[in-house]
Amino acid sequence: MRRSIYWFMLTCVPAAPLFAQLDRAGSPNTQNRLAQDTARVAAGEASFRQLCTGCHGRAGEGGQGEGQGPNLATNWEVRRAKDPELFNFIKNGVKGTAMPAFSLPEERIWELAAFVRSLNAPANSVPTQGDVSVGSDVFFGKGGCSGCHMIKGRGGYLGPDLSNIGAARRLNELRDALFKPSTTPSAGFQPLLLRDTQGRQVRAIAKHASPWSVQVLDENGTLHLLRGEAIKNLTFQEKSWMPSDLPQRLSPEELTNVLAFLSRQAIRAVSAAGPAAATEKGVIN
Amino acid sequence: MKRGATIVCSSLWLLGTVLNAQVSTKELHGGLGGNWLTYLGDYAAQRFSPLKEIDTHTVPDLVPKWVRHFDTTSDLETTPLVYEGVMYTTNGNEMHALDAITGREIWQYRALDSQRRGVNRGAAILGDQVYLVTANCHLISLRRNNGAVVWDREYASSADGYGCSSPPLVVKDKIMVGVTSSGKTCFIAALSAVDGKEAWRVWSVPREGEFGSYTWGKFPLGQGGGPTWTPGTYDPELNLLYWPIGNPWPDFYGGDRPGDNLYTDSVVALDADTGKMKWYFQFVPHDTHDWDANETPVLVDTEFKGQKRKLLIQANRNGFYYVLDRITGEFLLGKPFVKNLTWARGLDAKGRPIEIPNTDPSAVGVRVCPSVHGATNWWAPSFNPVQGLFYVAALEQCEIYYSSAQKPVASSGFRGTGHNIIAAEPGQFYLRAIEAATGNIRWEFPMPGPTTMWAGTVATAGGLVFAADDDGDLVAFDAEAGKPLWHFNTGSNLHASPMTFSVDGHQYVTMASGTNLFTFGLHLSH
Repeated sequence: MRRSIYWFMLTCVPAAPLFAQLDRAGSPNTQNRLAQDTARVAAGEASFRQLCTGCHGRAGEGGQGEGQGPNLATNWEVRRAKDPELFNFIKNGVKGTAMPAFSLPEERIWELAAFVRSLNAPANSVPTQGDVSVGSDVFFGKGGCSGCHMIKGRGGYLGPDLSNIGAARRLNELRDALFKPSTTPSAGFQPLLLRDTQGRQVRAIAKHASPWSVQVLDENGTLHLLRGEAIKNLTFQEKSWMPSDLPQRLSPEELTNVLAFLSRQAIRAVSAAGPAAATEKGVIN
Repeated sequence: MKRGATIVCSSLWLLGTVLNAQVSTKELHGGLGGNWLTYLGDYAAQRFSPLKEIDTHTVPDLVPKWVRHFDTTSDLETTPLVYEGVMYTTNGNEMHALDAITGREIWQYRALDSQRRGVNRGAAILGDQVYLVTANCHLISLRRNNGAVVWDREYASSADGYGCSSPPLVVKDKIMVGVTSSGKTCFIAALSAVDGKEAWRVWSVPREGEFGSYTWGKFPLGQGGGPTWTPGTYDPELNLLYWPIGNPWPDFYGGDRPGDNLYTDSVVALDADTGKMKWYFQFVPHDTHDWDANETPVLVDTEFKGQKRKLLIQANRNGFYYVLDRITGEFLLGKPFVKNLTWARGLDAKGRPIEIPNTDPSAVGVRVCPSVHGATNWWAPSFNPVQGLFYVAALEQCEIYYSSAQKPVASSGFRGTGHNIIAAEPGQFYLRAIEAATGNIRWEFPMPGPTTMWAGTVATAGGLVFAADDDGDLVAFDAEAGKPLWHFNTGSNLHASPMTFSVDGHQYVTMASGTNLFTFGLHLSH
């Protein structure tokens, strides 16, 4: 019983490389007025499913095999393209490729362009479905995500800090992390059990490991800088502490709300001068 | 979430260190021990470590223990912090937590949002957090054990022309920060250690109508410069902060700013709680040679002319060594610590320079000593209270200074023109041991080289002073006699100051060099 509660507290977003601190995706180059309209982006997604997935893959990840459409989801060329260029690719096709012209109403083409743009943009710059506030409650409550992950200094130690995850990752990446969580350990988050001289075990991660020394952070936030014989007290685990059954434990609606909450996590400095400037710059804490 | 405030007994873990303690203000007040808790070591900035495992007898056994490479820089200028076996070291917009014994990385944080790049000289530490300043003037609070962001405050706008490289300084519940600029008036600010909110700000140039504003003629007071780009020191007993202030803008042309240009090239004594100025002392009134006063104001309690006094000592970029009473700001002594000093005959009874005519930069150029590099500069000196000696890396060098009456444009990089080295007079660095109470030079060690070094010193109770030569060597000297006892070439010219710490009873010395951080220890330790 105790163990199951323990596991329950160690849930939510995976400790896969996805959530290591990586380069931010940056702001999309968009002037498309539909890009911030959740319903129109969703309409673009519906059109995409109907018209584009045969070549570009169901999530825009690119088709398999010769003659198939390129990856649109994590594509620097798409990110760099201006909105009118995306519009023209869809409307007129791309000469010399299998990309056909689509004879669609202009508004529908703009919806498609907005959806393709959303595939490449940082999660915090695109509209999402789900309730951010409810997602926060799930993250810090029922979901137990904060048992392992911190946001702005609040949370646990076994998973990566998610304070900037909405600016660092695309919405699709966050969605996959929640709905198809990976338990492959990533560098800096190698799972292990740490045993003390009385035989008690605590969950921990190796921030770094070599044959000579291991730098361990346990679930209580205590650092253990171990060398030589002390390394024998460690039992490395194959799977990260990220539970693989998250989609079974939370409903699709709850996961969507957590996705909305995470997509809005971005480090935005508050001006030290006061609240007026803070409103302008955005608030982190 | 648990945030333990206890040190777990390390005996539970063989050959390892277990860490979960909080850094208290009491520890920060406690002076140097095995830890190194501020950029300058402790509040007085004497950089005199009580550690003595490495001494004049054992230093020949000093060997490299580890090297950590940083591939995002070509110029590390940092002095790391160490607390209970964890080293917190910085690079531009980055902080890294390392296992201090092995150099292996525990975590790293990169402020990828910063649109500005630049060097970073160090961090601050308090409680369970460490504080990083970014090049675009954000103060970022990170959890010490995992590097997670707690908050991020912008305290000056890089869009307005401000940049930041100075390590922050923790004083009680506040974090003191400074800024730099080209043509914008700078400031010292106290930010809350809890959330970064600004508690007070002191401008380095008076505002309109304030005392000293008349020392600028009609020059715009918002463009006076006075960068605060190195950290100050702090006397907990007096609750006074001593912050050095940089030069006026434009650097080399003073025709548009007639007067002394307060508080540029000064040290100001501020109430740490309110920022209220108790006194100021200006080293160079109306500077036109970029001789900012950002060198470390070291706090020393010692006998001066038969009286025990609270002193502030500084080896200034202008070539003079100063002794001030740090309670009142009274000038007590000033003496050149370089031989090549051609701009002033000396200092008057109040410490004001007696300037030699025709040493102002001109359109055709004027030869003046010291050079812009300075007789010394931001690199940290150290003070050995046992010997009463102040160890300063000094540069003997002259330059040709030029000026232009061109209309100044703020934040354009304009400096009123500039300076040129004299090929026939290359200059040379010396490590000098200055008697703090008299200003006399007890010993010196010449260091031939390209004069591109920017490295400071650290003194120890082991009778040593560690310094750099001008060829990339970290050198250990006998502190009393100046005899070199050990040296190690790091492969790059050195642009940082060494520091020393201990873990599990063993002493180490760390020095940044180019793209690498070197840590040395005795051959038999670990």
